[in-house]
Amino acid sequence: MNRNDFRYKGYAGKLLRVNLTEGTWQDEPLTNELAERYIGGAGMAARILYNELQPGIEPFSSENKVIFLTGPVEGTMIPTASRIGLYAKSPLTNSFFHSSAGGHFAPELKFAGYDGIIFEGRARQPVYLFIDDGYIELRDASRFWGMDTRRVQLELFEELGSDELQIAAIGPAGEKLVRFACVICGCRALGRGGLGAVLGSKNVKAVAVRGQGSVEVPDMRKMKVFLDEIFARFSANPATSEILPRYGTPVLVHANNSLGLFGYKNWQDEFFPAAEGLSGDTMRKKIVKRDKSCFACPARCGKFSIIGEGPYEGVRNEGPEYEDIFSLGSMCGHNDIEVVAAAERLCDDLGVDAIETGVAIAFAMECCERGLLRREDTDGIDLKFGRAELIVPLVEKIALRTGKLGNLLAEGVRRASEILGNGSYHFAMHNKGLTFAGHSARGMPGFALGYATGPRGGSHHDGRPTGERTGLVPRETIEGKGEYTARINHLNIFTDSLIVCHLTESIWGPLDVADITVKCLNAATGMNMTLDEARTAAERIWNLIRAFAVREGYRREHDCLPPRFMEEPIPSGPSSGMVITRQMLDNLLDQYYEFRGWDKKTGIPTRDRLIQLGLEDIARDMERYR
Amino acid sequence: MNITVKSFANIRDVVGTSELAVEVSPGTSLGGLFEILGRRYGAAFDRQIRDQITGAIVPFLVLINDKTYRTTTDLDVALNDGDTVTIMIPFDGG
Repeated sequence: MNRNDFRYKGYAGKLLRVNLTEGTWQDEPLTNELAERYIGGAGMAARILYNELQPGIEPFSSENKVIFLTGPVEGTMIPTASRIGLYAKSPLTNSFFHSSAGGHFAPELKFAGYDGIIFEGRARQPVYLFIDDGYIELRDASRFWGMDTRRVQLELFEELGSDELQIAAIGPAGEKLVRFACVICGCRALGRGGLGAVLGSKNVKAVAVRGQGSVEVPDMRKMKVFLDEIFARFSANPATSEILPRYGTPVLVHANNSLGLFGYKNWQDEFFPAAEGLSGDTMRKKIVKRDKSCFACPARCGKFSIIGEGPYEGVRNEGPEYEDIFSLGSMCGHNDIEVVAAAERLCDDLGVDAIETGVAIAFAMECCERGLLRREDTDGIDLKFGRAELIVPLVEKIALRTGKLGNLLAEGVRRASEILGNGSYHFAMHNKGLTFAGHSARGMPGFALGYATGPRGGSHHDGRPTGERTGLVPRETIEGKGEYTARINHLNIFTDSLIVCHLTESIWGPLDVADITVKCLNAATGMNMTLDEARTAAERIWNLIRAFAVREGYRREHDCLPPRFMEEPIPSGPSSGMVITRQMLDNLLDQYYEFRGWDKKTGIPTRDRLIQLGLEDIARDMERYR
Repeated sequence: MNITVKSFANIRDVVGTSELAVEVSPGTSLGGLFEILGRRYGAAFDRQIRDQITGAIVPFLVLINDKTYRTTTDLDVALNDGDTVTIMIPFDGG
């Protein structure tokens, strides 16, 4: 059992700092301040990277750092306490980025005695990090370079003589610096933001962890009382007890499409008449074989699938998830769930974000149909919406940077449209370089504001669609959505710091940091934080991340939506006519900045608000950007 | 009155079809329709839409014909003969 002297339980009490340039490493104790003010996960990583990264550095330079970090709940029996976070300056957005995944890697890291790992510098040759309880080694990974993410995990089991390891690995896409390369842990993806490419730029192929310790909690009796309460809530809630376990996230295909909020053909429409072929019902009938859970989670939303026949016969996958179905299916204008499953598996194997990949293909299809991409630009491929047979080969081209088209799209849609020019930016569906996920901006104004102001750009985990999509708040209205979105930001960043899963947000929120979420932190750590203190911590972290973005040049004008969302009303379906005009967005931004205490002209947090949040050093920093 | 109930996923599994014809009394509300379905399909139906601790219907959207309604505010809305009610699934996240 791990014993540590750190003041708060739940935490392992130390980080592992690895200097890749020197090939050295050292333990670094957590500080009380980091835990009390920034909790863990995204909050703690944001503070570390704000302190340690110089503004303006190139994301692929050796000056960038990559952090794997857990939260204080990981490794306890608290439901969804399974998540590992990955953090760095993103090569897609050029600002702080965080991405998290379930599975089993995070608890294993805690059992090995570490809250997280900080990679800095750049290795001279490919390496992987092996952590075996207290034993640490940087090992040669030359023979694994070029391997896909599944193969390298199997090879590492063999090399290390055990399959009782948890492994996070990049694929060929990370090695080739595809700007949306991801990291795969088991079958789960640390998907967004291109952080796999940052690891690739440092010549880090993988991290393999084995731990035989445990996570201490302050009072087992109190923890049991909390667990009884939280498991009862999971059992009582239809989403977590019935719907997620049966259909997983693909249930959203029907739900979003029935409301006319399902991106179709690069968001030219939001209603796909043939969406049934992609639905959770169809997927369950055709390919799902069993349900899978992450560590400590009763929701079993993972869907293990096998394709039974046809050109992709035998392909196995944990998924696809809703976002994959949106990006690799509907956005590309086809409804073949088996193509999506095969393409998503290939995305994971080669190590690219499936959302970014599918949206890049949809962008290319639209550019091709509009004559902005010619045959000589596409390596002779006739890109058209609905050509499902192109999807798998295109994933491979992008992930391996093959040919002109693969190289172009591997840059992400923002850069691809800058290279192409000729008005193609109209069809690059992103904010701040990150493509939008499969949830409507035009049909949900509060969520549109979340997309526009999101420090990660088009992420669906800065704002959330849930409040408007379930009717907790009126969907169509503009008034009040500034405060609504800001409070959801706080819920998201607090849960991303604990770290617990957003798919169960109706329990952890759903509209702001809630009592149960703070109880969760206190049960794991013994902190005795109040709800007000927790909400202040969440706001502090949000402002810290905004300050990071300000240092990188982001201002009000970057809190934006693409022209299509502001100029083209949804053309058909139940939400037809809905649009977020420039005037509506300005109204939303004004409300949001006012609630946040940010300067309405620039979007920079005001000195007063930063000082109220205890961020005096950042208040001083921000003066030079006003 | 005759109402058509459209559903998918778990609710379709419980009622056995994606389009269900239901006969209700004049003046039946949206909430009343859920009561009728609850009586007809029992706990298996209620588990899909009600919190099992409080018994309350959880938040989700419903389409009556082409218009959106909220279970948080609109359970009293009266249905009309020939209405089509599409039940969105209560679901977080994505």
